[in-house]
Amino acid sequence: MIFLTNEEMQLIIPELIMLVGLLGIILIPNFGDAKIRLPLTKIHLPILIGGKRFKPTSNPKLPNRLTLFTLVVAFFFGFADRVATGDVGNALSVDSFSRVFFLIFTAALILSTISAAHRIPARSNVKPPNESDSESLVSRKIDALIDNRRQVDFHIILLMVGLGMSLMAMANHLFMLFVCIELASLSSYILVAFHKESAAGGEAGMKYFIVGSVASAVGIYGMSLLYLWNGDLSFDGLAASWAAADGIDPLAGIGVGLMLVAFGFKVGAAPFHLAAPDAYSGASSPVAGLLATASKAMGFVAMIRILIGITLPVEGEAFWFVTIALISVITMTWGNLAALTSDNPKRILAYSSVAHAGYMLAGLAAIGSGIASIAATKLILIAIIFHLAVLVLFKFGAFLVLSLLETEGRSHRLEDLYGLGKREPLMAGSMFVFMLSLAGVPPLAGFLSKFLMINGIVNASVASGSAGSVSVIGWMGTVNPVFWLAIAIVFNSALSIFYYLRIGLVMFFEAPETDNPLKSATSLRLAITVCALLTVILGITSLGDSVLDIISNAVETFIGN
Amino acid sequence: MSETKNEYKLLLPLVPILAIIPYLAIVQGWESIDAAIFIVAAPFVAFPTILILGQVYNKNKTWKNTWKEGGILGIGALGVSLSAAIWILFDYLNGTAHFANHSVSHWLEWISFDVLQADYTMTETRILGMGVWIDSLTLMLLFVATFLCFLICWFAIGYMTTNPINEDSNHRFFAEFVLFSMGMFGMVLADNFLWLFIFWEIMGLCSYLLIGFYYWKDSAAKAAKKAFLTTRVGDVFLMVGLFILYDIYGSLEFAVVFDDPSTGVGGALVDSGQMFWALTMLFIGAIGKSAQFPLHVWLPDAMEGPTPVSALIHAATMVNAGLYLVARMMPFVDIHHHGIAGLEDFGIMVAYIGGITAFMAASIAFVQNDIKKVLAYSTMSQLAYIFTGLGSALYFLNIGNYHAGYFVLGASLFHLFNHAMAKGMLFMASGSVIHEVHHAHDHLSSSHDDGGHHDFDPQDMRNMGGLASKMPVTATAMMFGSMSIIGIPLIGGFWSKEGIIAETWAAYFHGESAMLVPAILILATAGMTGFYMSRMWFMTFAGQPKNEVVDHVHETTPWIKEPLLILTLITAIGGFVLALYGVIDFLSNESSHLAMHGDQGIVDSIITQLEHAFLPEDSQMRMVGWVTIFLALFVGPIMAARIHGGSLKDGETATPIVGWLVNLSGKFGTQDVSSLAESDLAEALQNRLYIDDLYEGIIARTVIPFADLCAWFDRNVIDGLIKQIESNSVLGSVQIRRVTTGSARDYILMATVGALSIFALLLGVSN
Repeated sequence: MIFLTNEEMQLIIPELIMLVGLLGIILIPNFGDAKIRLPLTKIHLPILIGGKRFKPTSNPKLPNRLTLFTLVVAFFFGFADRVATGDVGNALSVDSFSRVFFLIFTAALILSTISAAHRIPARSNVKPPNESDSESLVSRKIDALIDNRRQVDFHIILLMVGLGMSLMAMANHLFMLFVCIELASLSSYILVAFHKESAAGGEAGMKYFIVGSVASAVGIYGMSLLYLWNGDLSFDGLAASWAAADGIDPLAGIGVGLMLVAFGFKVGAAPFHLAAPDAYSGASSPVAGLLATASKAMGFVAMIRILIGITLPVEGEAFWFVTIALISVITMTWGNLAALTSDNPKRILAYSSVAHAGYMLAGLAAIGSGIASIAATKLILIAIIFHLAVLVLFKFGAFLVLSLLETEGRSHRLEDLYGLGKREPLMAGSMFVFMLSLAGVPPLAGFLSKFLMINGIVNASVASGSAGSVSVIGWMGTVNPVFWLAIAIVFNSALSIFYYLRIGLVMFFEAPETDNPLKSATSLRLAITVCALLTVILGITSLGDSVLDIISNAVETFIGN
Repeated sequence: MSETKNEYKLLLPLVPILAIIPYLAIVQGWESIDAAIFIVAAPFVAFPTILILGQVYNKNKTWKNTWKEGGILGIGALGVSLSAAIWILFDYLNGTAHFANHSVSHWLEWISFDVLQADYTMTETRILGMGVWIDSLTLMLLFVATFLCFLICWFAIGYMTTNPINEDSNHRFFAEFVLFSMGMFGMVLADNFLWLFIFWEIMGLCSYLLIGFYYWKDSAAKAAKKAFLTTRVGDVFLMVGLFILYDIYGSLEFAVVFDDPSTGVGGALVDSGQMFWALTMLFIGAIGKSAQFPLHVWLPDAMEGPTPVSALIHAATMVNAGLYLVARMMPFVDIHHHGIAGLEDFGIMVAYIGGITAFMAASIAFVQNDIKKVLAYSTMSQLAYIFTGLGSALYFLNIGNYHAGYFVLGASLFHLFNHAMAKGMLFMASGSVIHEVHHAHDHLSSSHDDGGHHDFDPQDMRNMGGLASKMPVTATAMMFGSMSIIGIPLIGGFWSKEGIIAETWAAYFHGESAMLVPAILILATAGMTGFYMSRMWFMTFAGQPKNEVVDHVHETTPWIKEPLLILTLITAIGGFVLALYGVIDFLSNESSHLAMHGDQGIVDSIITQLEHAFLPEDSQMRMVGWVTIFLALFVGPIMAARIHGGSLKDGETATPIVGWLVNLSGKFGTQDVSSLAESDLAEALQNRLYIDDLYEGIIARTVIPFADLCAWFDRNVIDGLIKQIESNSVLGSVQIRRVTTGSARDYILMATVGALSIFALLLGVSN
């Protein structure tokens, strides 16, 4: 079916806005005074595309502004209609679950767009180089011209990522899910490699692409096994067959297992995360932030859809419980250990993002253990989604600070952060808030999400302990292993404090390499400050409750009862 | 004087800030109880603001002259607190707002979570948050704290910013000042022992910072450490007390604990022995904070801080915290309202501590020559009065004589009010004296340029004398303050001190022979107070100048006089007026509003009140009352006048009452006490009865070796363990990062290994 009914159009207004914006970015910068002569007459009809461009539409800053406008409008439409429910065609269905993720993705994209405006700046008054210019001036002018030229490319791809992500959140068919993930992924590979003139960027993009393709291939293979087993890839059909099946068919089990590889790559779970640190440090910070927040959230949507939505048994242990539990512990430990001695802030953030994926996988594992009550399941899902939402604030916030540093070409060494507290107290203070929040220090938003996660896991498992135990130690021997996932999170958090605080340490206690203030990127600074403030406010005020209400509404829609 | 006038326009930017509370009250129609958050929030916001602005704009002219290095912001924040507190007070007195059930209002509910129970189930939900608890005790302390903090901040703007030694560091002072104030406001408002403790500790921290404000001075740094560590000893006990309370009631919320103190968690009857220990532990915490024997040693040294800090700590905030805590204990012992019987020993113990401290501090004050030290010991002694009164109240309530119990409770709290007002003013007045003497000295030595005055101490009363004519406002203020502290009839403290002494004796007359000791001690102290306070005043203001500096003293510093005048008024007539309006019943929660007794006219009321004070029906009480008045009014002051009194230089005049007093003091003749001053007793008093030395000796022999042992353990065992973990983690980190080779081939290999592992794991499960 090609044409949508009115109701369906209303449901996907935010996505349609993105589509219109996308077309707008392609068209608007090309508006010009081109005319076509009607054959055999002298009448010249203006066709407006091509020719000499109009002044307002040829402004190189236009694509960025259009993208930002599109995303903000889409965000508000999505937010206003966040309880919409209904099917669109056969493969998409809108509900508050998909809307919450839509909001997460769009928020990340908005931040990405804001920082891209300063990271890949467009300058409206660049002149072409002439012969009297010195060599370095020529190369600078050429750089600026190139940056101007590729504004459109960058922002089209950015919107493409957004479109892919928000459609994948709505997918109710496995095939649709995969296509949308690939749309978003392929676009993000390009974004990683966008600065092709820098060797690191190109290499990182290539590696990310190769490893990602392998993961996708494995996933698609798993999907084909599932198709062999069921002959229908819609989520409802799969869930029904899964519930009806007696025991677990090897074909289906392996199929799901192989799909985990693809999604594991997306969320950055060990051992599929290895390309991620390279990609983060090779990509520009706006893109790295996108990978660490929106892309990760996308992976978790898929994980939740498959693991919780389809294969979670009504009672008893899910067949993937041990696998996910193992992966989660390995992932968080690996991420934290690797971050300990890293000297590149972007790699530290990349590994921290791996560790956070581990925490969230531990939550999924606790749900799959079969001992979690409905309430505990909801609690953990709320915790995961809330964590993904607030990550946009403090993980992306940290990348925003790094992109501010990148405007002077530095953010790859810990030394670049030295003395930031003296140079830019507000930025350094915000960065410190982000680090504390990532570490889960109360009363910040990161604490709340981690607390909810641990509370959920403990809540699920604590009743399994023997009430007759005399001592706590003895009791710990009797409790279900799920309880130890919470302990693993706690110990890993303790380990992670080391590298988070190290960033704070070098910012405030080391002498800066230069005293020059950073570029006065007003919108970027504003975004950083807002992120830091929200990180605090969500942690201590009732605004956090409101966000949790929206999320718990989404979770109830998803669980269905 | 023109300088003074110009400065007030600096307050103009505060008008919108101060309009917040009236705006909320009138335009928005808020309940006053909901505005309670502003009392704490305003200084809480001001603290980082002042600190950060001060760092950024340090040495900036506007910041210095217009914003007074943050003082204007501080006074604005405290003004908001004060206006909110007054609003609540008025609502409470009018009974217009919803203050039912002690008006618990939760305005901060942060997170709720499940608690692991003893049987390993998670059922109970706790909310980590804070609410407000309002009764007359809260309101009185809240008013005292907000009002005095406001005035002291006003005073400090003048005092601190004109002192060149504070150059460019005053933002630190004002920031810590408002944080300190916030600690006190929060502690008084808290509806939960835990929050009470948290704010209590914030005050402890700030007292450390403020006493050590001149941290480059060795003595100040040491005094700060001493204050912090001594109160810390009390705090540890306080914490133990809270643990016991939690054990008994399963909660630290006032609403739960005070609902029915006789039954603990699960309806079990509370054991009086356990309760005794809980209260004793809390009481030790209170002793530390309120500087009572044997944890009193920090308070005199705390005078190393700037004078406004002394006023803040000794009048408005910190020392009152301990009294507040003890006053909060009343429901535990009040057997008419579900209290626990058999705790009368606790009350007697409190009274003993009070009696001993009162006597000891007063005797040490005899020989002090530093004007602030006299006031410090006087604080200690007066607080001890209040403790004695609270002890009697605890005793009476526990034996069931609630009439006497509530009366003495109210009297004690009234004395707290009177003392806070008088002492706040005395400290500010002494600050004014010190400040002006210091200025005069600087002026003199710069014009003489001889540099021979370096050992000049502007706080030493032996350098003063005859200041009555130079500083009329200060002399008058200090006179009323001293009278209030002494308990001169009709003035301030008389109305409350009388009640405390009378009821302590009443406890003895009612058959508790153990109460004789504190009763005698505080009665004797009444006379001694008369002596040392008069001595201080005469030494400073009466007689001939003892130093040429005095001739150059003028009262010129702006911002200093207004708070003195306001407090003089309150001290002089406030006590009488409030007594007339039945404040004692109000403070003991017997009545919820202030009103004159019965339906009498004002004249009849005054007569009744005077009769009650001077001619009680009970002959024993009458005797005690008249002995007190005799000692305080005649014996002490006349002895002081004989030694230190003297008329002014010829031709110099002072304000009417001051001048009359000064000349009167000259008529008692002079007495030479140099032989007494060189006696062993005087030396022992000079050395604070060797208690500090004793502590140092004990600490050197016990605590320090133990601390060394702990330090060794910490360095070698704990740090060793942590370093081991760290080096192993780093080792692991290096190893694990080797896997990240940077080659896509290796990554795919690892992914394949992962995929195969999943494959194998799931294959196992599937079959």
